Amino acid sequence: MDKILCATRGGEASYRTQDAAIALAKEEGAGLVFIYVVDIRFINKTARAVRPDVVSAEMEKMGEFLLALAQERAQKQGVSADVVLHHGDFSTELMVCAQELAIDLILLGKPIGEESVFELEKLEAFVTELEDETGIEVRIVG
Amino acid sequence: MMKQVLQRFTLLAILCAGLLLLFSQDPSLITASAVEMMDEAQVSLAGKIINPQGEPVEGAEIELVINGESMCAEPECDASNHRVESQEDGTFIVDVPTETIGGMRELILDISRHHFETISWHADERDLRRLNLGESLRLADIELPRQITLGFWVATLTFVFILVIIALEKLHNTMAALLGVAVILGTTFVGGAVNPDLFIFDFEQALDYVNFDVIFLVMGMMIVIGVIEETGIFQWLAYQSYRLSRGRTWLLVIILMLITSIASALLDNVTTMLLVTPMTIQIAIAMNINPLALLLPEVLASNVGGISTLIGTPTNILIGSYAGLSFNDFVTNLTPGVLMAQVVLTAYVLFRYRKEYMVKGGGVSEALLERLRESGRITQPEKFRRSGIVFVIMLLLFILGERIHLAPAVTAILGAVAMLLWVSPDVEDMLKVVDWTTLMFFISLFIVVGSIQEVGLISIIAGTISNLVGGSVTTAILVLVWSAAFLSGVIANIPFTAAMLPVVRFLTRTVPGAGSQVLFYALSIGSAMGGNSSLIGASANLVTAGIAERAGYRITYKEFFKVGMPAMLVTVAVGTIWLFIRF
Repeated sequence: MDKILCATRGGEASYRTQDAAIALAKEEGAGLVFIYVVDIRFINKTARAVRPDVVSAEMEKMGEFLLALAQERAQKQGVSADVVLHHGDFSTELMVCAQELAIDLILLGKPIGEESVFELEKLEAFVTELEDETGIEVRIVG
Repeated sequence: MMKQVLQRFTLLAILCAGLLLLFSQDPSLITASAVEMMDEAQVSLAGKIINPQGEPVEGAEIELVINGESMCAEPECDASNHRVESQEDGTFIVDVPTETIGGMRELILDISRHHFETISWHADERDLRRLNLGESLRLADIELPRQITLGFWVATLTFVFILVIIALEKLHNTMAALLGVAVILGTTFVGGAVNPDLFIFDFEQALDYVNFDVIFLVMGMMIVIGVIEETGIFQWLAYQSYRLSRGRTWLLVIILMLITSIASALLDNVTTMLLVTPMTIQIAIAMNINPLALLLPEVLASNVGGISTLIGTPTNILIGSYAGLSFNDFVTNLTPGVLMAQVVLTAYVLFRYRKEYMVKGGGVSEALLERLRESGRITQPEKFRRSGIVFVIMLLLFILGERIHLAPAVTAILGAVAMLLWVSPDVEDMLKVVDWTTLMFFISLFIVVGSIQEVGLISIIAGTISNLVGGSVTTAILVLVWSAAFLSGVIANIPFTAAMLPVVRFLTRTVPGAGSQVLFYALSIGSAMGGNSSLIGASANLVTAGIAERAGYRITYKEFFKVGMPAMLVTVAVGTIWLFIRF
């Protein structure tokens, strides 16, 4: 295994996933890449004037901050991690990134409690879809 | 290059057209009422048509019948002034044919209008005697009873349907409102041709309900905010809060609440939260605290702060434009109450999150702190300086403009034009800033709300509330503030406020002691502070939750309710107390 891709949102809920990815990368001696996807479609929920370009730029800065945080966590555990930031739909961008970087394994965080955005069944269905589309192994960790 | 110049002038032309339109609506330019225009040489009957709530009825057809014979023989009828329509203020003048003077035994006015019962007004013997002597008459107000038609049900169900699909997020707000317009006008033109009972209103009447003050004020502010938000001011303010607090979380939250509140009052609460939230999340992580302990207080303060000015919330823009309340009116009558509510809200937040705020900050590297500093700087200093100057002048015009009858919408457009000409942002960007879907939402909403006003639903609601409050202004304030507060948590507060405006106007006219416009302020407090009670209660809540979710911090409905509902209760209570003190 050469390269692991770990999708992260960056919050405390993501720390378990990040730690699992860091541990696995260390164990396998594989490269680790954290990905953060900027998706601003939530602004459609408001009937007010918002500038997608400005919001997108702010979300990008936040994403870079969260990725840098993940990178530091990996570094503290002796793993050198790369980071990538994409804009768009999470599922699509994850597939694009995995194929572009010739990823061997994709890691996704296991949903726990009310704070999780995904339900486990939906995440499992997404994993199957991702594997079918990319041919890359996908694991749920954490 | 040519394309850019063309686009810039197109946008400026739209803004100038707005200015002309707004100036043309100056009340001083409106022609005198029909009653004032009576010709002394002509024998005439002048009067006013009102609905059961005493509101003037426009467009009622009044036909003169003398001695059992209609005086309106086609085709000369319209020119002869024997069949007329009531004007905007409900007044009308019908001319009595000269040849009938001296021989009138009976005089009837047949009065008809869609959504009202057709009635006949009969002149009594005294009136007939005076008319036969060649005297003109000024009649007592004539009340037209309402009639519930099929159109009433179509308009009512359409409005309710729109509220439901917006609340359930089944359709985009604009699409939902446009669908409503399509149903209402489709029913009028297609259904009305088959069954006249399905007629709601024609296209011209529909457009009469569109409030262009609101449209141009919203459009002007969109451009102004669009320029300012590019400068990085929001992020700079958030970072300065972090710097000033020096690791004291309780102080940080107080400063953040204060700046989001002020920014929401002067600009817009959704924009404020969109740009402050990402920075707040980074600050919270840097201080090792849960971002929700900062974000929720910020959004609550933002929703409350927006109420203090005319331009702070769309509901205030609607209320101010409809009731003719100026920027200063809001500052005088609401800002002190909002400040009181903010103090109570801050105390509540500090108590609610006391454990989270006890956590000692720190924990991130110098590299991350540097990144934070970089995110919190003014990105375009020259644009910041220029837009700041324009905005300060705009604020002065909002405050002082009242003395020269400068409408807030005109001030907003002047500010927008100054931004376009002097601050000179990219024209392509500015065209993107004007959110045409939002403007379409407002236009469509006005038409849909106009339809329920036209068919009489608003009159029924007004009558019901009037009976409920029983002539007590205290009860009226309590009913309005609290019903608006609770309803805003479950239905979109913009359509709700738009629908309530004619109701509040009726109550203002009929409830003793409400002439100070206090009920409009009650609606403002209830509809905006009420948004704090649930996640879907305000757009600012939804965008904050949207960003927090993308950073891995989910704000659930339950979590928001647990924090927001008590906040809503205490702030609305303080707002109500303020209204009782002020009025």
